[in-house]
Amino acid sequence: MLKAIGYFWELLKGGWITTRHFMTNMFHHTLRLFHIKTKRPGAVTYQYPEVKKPLAARHRSLHRLMTREDGKPRCVACMLCATVCPSECIVIEAAEDADPEIQKVPKSFTIDLNRCCFCGFCVEACPEDAIRMDTGVIDLARRSHDDLIFGLDKLLK
Amino acid sequence: MIKLFIDGAAVEVPEGTTVFKAAEQAGIALPHFCFHPAFAPEGTCRLCLVQIEGSPKLELSCSTVIREGMKVVTQSPAVGEARRGVLEFLLAEHPLDCPICDKAGECKLQDYSRDYGLTESAFREFKEKRDKKVAIGEKLLLDRERCIQCTRCVRFLAEVTKTHELGVFERGVRTEIGILDGVPVQNGYSGNLVDLCPVGAITDTDFRFKTRPWFLSRAESVCPHCGRGCNIYVDYHPGLPRVPGSAKVFRIRPRTNEAVNGPWICDVGRYGYVRAQNAGRSDRPFWNKDGAKTELGWDTAMAILGDKLRALVDAGRADRVAVAATSWLTNEELFLVKKIFRDDFGSGRIVLCDPRPGEGDDFLRRPDRTPNARGARELGFDPAPPALEALARGTEVLILFGPHIAEHFRPAELRAALDGIAVKVLVTPHLTGLEGLMDGVLASATPAEKDGSFTNFEGRVQPFAAAARPCPDVRSELEILAALAGSLGLRPDYYGRLTTAAAVRRELAKEIPFFGARA
Amino acid sequence: MTDIWVVLIKIVLALVWFFVLTLYLTWAERKESAVIQDRVGANRARILGMTVIGLFQPIADAIKMFFKEDFVPAFSRKALHTIAPFVSFFFVAITISAVPFGDDIRIGGKAISLQVFDANVGLLFVLAMLSLAIYGILISGWASNNRFALLGGMRGAAQLISYEVALGLSLVGLIMVFPSLRMSELVRAQGALLFGFLPKWGVFLQPLGFLVFFFAALAETKRVPFDMPEGESEIIGFFTEYGGLKWGLFMFTDFMEILIISTLLTSLYFGGWQVPWLGANGFSFPWGGAWHLAPWLVTVFQVAAFNVKVFFFCWLQILIRWTYPRFRYDQVMDLGWKLLVPLSLLNIVGTAVLLSL
Repeated sequence: MLKAIGYFWELLKGGWITTRHFMTNMFHHTLRLFHIKTKRPGAVTYQYPEVKKPLAARHRSLHRLMTREDGKPRCVACMLCATVCPSECIVIEAAEDADPEIQKVPKSFTIDLNRCCFCGFCVEACPEDAIRMDTGVIDLARRSHDDLIFGLDKLLK
Repeated sequence: MIKLFIDGAAVEVPEGTTVFKAAEQAGIALPHFCFHPAFAPEGTCRLCLVQIEGSPKLELSCSTVIREGMKVVTQSPAVGEARRGVLEFLLAEHPLDCPICDKAGECKLQDYSRDYGLTESAFREFKEKRDKKVAIGEKLLLDRERCIQCTRCVRFLAEVTKTHELGVFERGVRTEIGILDGVPVQNGYSGNLVDLCPVGAITDTDFRFKTRPWFLSRAESVCPHCGRGCNIYVDYHPGLPRVPGSAKVFRIRPRTNEAVNGPWICDVGRYGYVRAQNAGRSDRPFWNKDGAKTELGWDTAMAILGDKLRALVDAGRADRVAVAATSWLTNEELFLVKKIFRDDFGSGRIVLCDPRPGEGDDFLRRPDRTPNARGARELGFDPAPPALEALARGTEVLILFGPHIAEHFRPAELRAALDGIAVKVLVTPHLTGLEGLMDGVLASATPAEKDGSFTNFEGRVQPFAAAARPCPDVRSELEILAALAGSLGLRPDYYGRLTTAAAVRRELAKEIPFFGARA
Repeated sequence: MTDIWVVLIKIVLALVWFFVLTLYLTWAERKESAVIQDRVGANRARILGMTVIGLFQPIADAIKMFFKEDFVPAFSRKALHTIAPFVSFFFVAITISAVPFGDDIRIGGKAISLQVFDANVGLLFVLAMLSLAIYGILISGWASNNRFALLGGMRGAAQLISYEVALGLSLVGLIMVFPSLRMSELVRAQGALLFGFLPKWGVFLQPLGFLVFFFAALAETKRVPFDMPEGESEIIGFFTEYGGLKWGLFMFTDFMEILIISTLLTSLYFGGWQVPWLGANGFSFPWGGAWHLAPWLVTVFQVAAFNVKVFFFCWLQILIRWTYPRFRYDQVMDLGWKLLVPLSLLNIVGTAVLLSL
């Protein structure tokens, strides 16, 4: 019996917590409904498609390929990213460049985002800082698998 | 025998041995660039320095001959310091373009820099600019920035091929490797320079930028391009999931076998073979029906051929089968051809149809163009080109291995002779145009894709194992023959066992003394 | 003839009140849970670009459910499967007839009670109808041809019957204090004052009875923390094999039960439409003041008070649903039989002793 009363006390405490949340949040919600600025919003959530949560500085989002000053890709097709990639989603074909200082350029650079696990190893492996994952693009859902295979054209944008 | 101590351990080696080789014998690998076992020591790279008791300075292990009771230290602070210094000097002029260097991953400079080198250079000045892309041969490109002047390439051309195309020009910091008067390196063995170069200074346009070495798997095989039977490595990409066509052979490298080819192979084997693996393949069986090409599954194709042969056997005309084998086949396959068609079918029309001999040289290349001419001879095949008349007359089923028959006869002649034969089947890894005359084509494996053995011109039986299969739908001739024997119900207790190359090789050794002596 | 029209109008008004509030109770549940959890809640349904804090959500839900497949599982008892949600719905919906919304009003010299059906056994009628709602649960579980649904239905029946006992016994004390089973009488009796200032509400006379009734009633609604019969998230419940509108009807019935429990709590323990110190002529405060009001204004006050109290209990039930975790089944049974039933018996004895003094 004593135990049951103890439980009852805890139940009341729990109820008090939710009531407190309800009351404070409702207070802010109501004031804001009448356009009165309050110190904090009633909800901590973001209204996602309209309001985007600021991404962390180190957040790994969609890849992009960096370019040199003249617009050519910085990538030299060393395939270190393809080597380190745990999902085996990067496929590179190299081509000869006319400039003997560059020599090797990617003929094709394909990331299969269906397989990509966004580990960021490719970024860390790149000796040329040619690939980065800082575009902030995280809404990557597509209607077909083929749309998620990104080639040079999409990655250089 | 002379006794000396290397790192405290006693080693006994014959007189005249160098410290380097003695250490090697003691299981101690010393770093080196310029030394190569096939050449006389040069001593330009200064990396194999060791400490020898009683000697005031460090000595070059590659050119110092041992003395009785010599005490050698290969690992000490002084030695490490000296090697670090050497590497620092080399790297002061060596570009850091490993990402685009084909040698990266198997580069000695990379390896030693990791083992001994400093991560930071004291060198703050600009590196010297040099030519990065000099064509020195048909398939060779020289990058002078990467070159460390070990002169291995120069010595190879001077000592092995004795053609002297490359030389060392200028002096001091301007020292460079070059060709004389624009005459390119062209001697049939130029590909070896790529393997010899310890760094990525000489690269191969055939392999350049195609892939990276660490993606490649390595299979030991035997070169099928002449009777020498050079030992090779087949470097192939095992393939990426969901990337069709990514599994393929990328390059051929020599596999050292002092008795056959030493550490070298010729350019024909090196470059021809990669092409042979990947281009012009017949990748699945098909049947020419009413002039139209119909691709078939293996089961259907084999069933059709089996039915034709069974009809002959049932009619008591089994000897009306003609078979033109080729010494591109392995010993085991030739043995099965002989067993099935000569012994069981009783056919007298079993011939060998090889490509015409070409030119050889006085080093590795042999005039014959097939890997197993000697094996075929030992198995009782007549190496002389067959007479078309004898082959075609009265023949009802013709089975051709390899497309080489087209080399011996004019097309019209061939067509006229083959027209009289009811069923003509070609078993070939490559399509060369002959398939138009055939009723059926069975796609077979190249030597790199199958198990077996070749007998080289000296009578050396060299077994090898399968490497990658770029065409997933091909079968080796051994598989085809074993399946045929099975479907015809020939002596199941005998042929039932002979389904792998190893099993056939055991049987071969049992039945033919030549192979028995070499098993 | 006018009597029939009056009754018809009363029925329509009561049902409209009942259904509209139930519909918006789903909205309230979503919003309240969101606010408790620092979220915003449903706010996307929009008409002509307006969202109006998500008030169109119930309409969107209804449209969605209309267009869902009306699925009947294979080898189920199709007729029973179809009838079950209607059985539940009907027996809960009919209870609203016994609820008094306000004091009698006079129109054209004629007294009209703000209650659809003032039976002299009103309280028993409500209890009986709520008990019959069990059939809907049992039938749906039985007719689904799904053993898990059947088990869910059995759990539901066991739980509801267990708590019916405590529910009924807790009310005995109340009936002893206000010796009537007529709902209007019960409410009217709570208009008196205790010690001259305290409203004579059931909760003050029967605090223990109130607690027992409250917990038993919570269990009757089959919601968290007493959601053994459904257990949406983990254990499969009796309406597993329902979808679309039929499932919607079950959910609707659930929310109707919340509302019914709230009206019962209000009517039985919190004075129903009574406002403290408000008489037929207006307020007369215990400290001597008075505030004269027109009769229609008094009625407005009463109906408003009734609604406010009902809303409060709806809010409280939603708060409880979003605060506490689910009981284990043995705990549910322990609570019912070992705590609530003895307490209600104690309450009856105690009340009897106090009354006989």
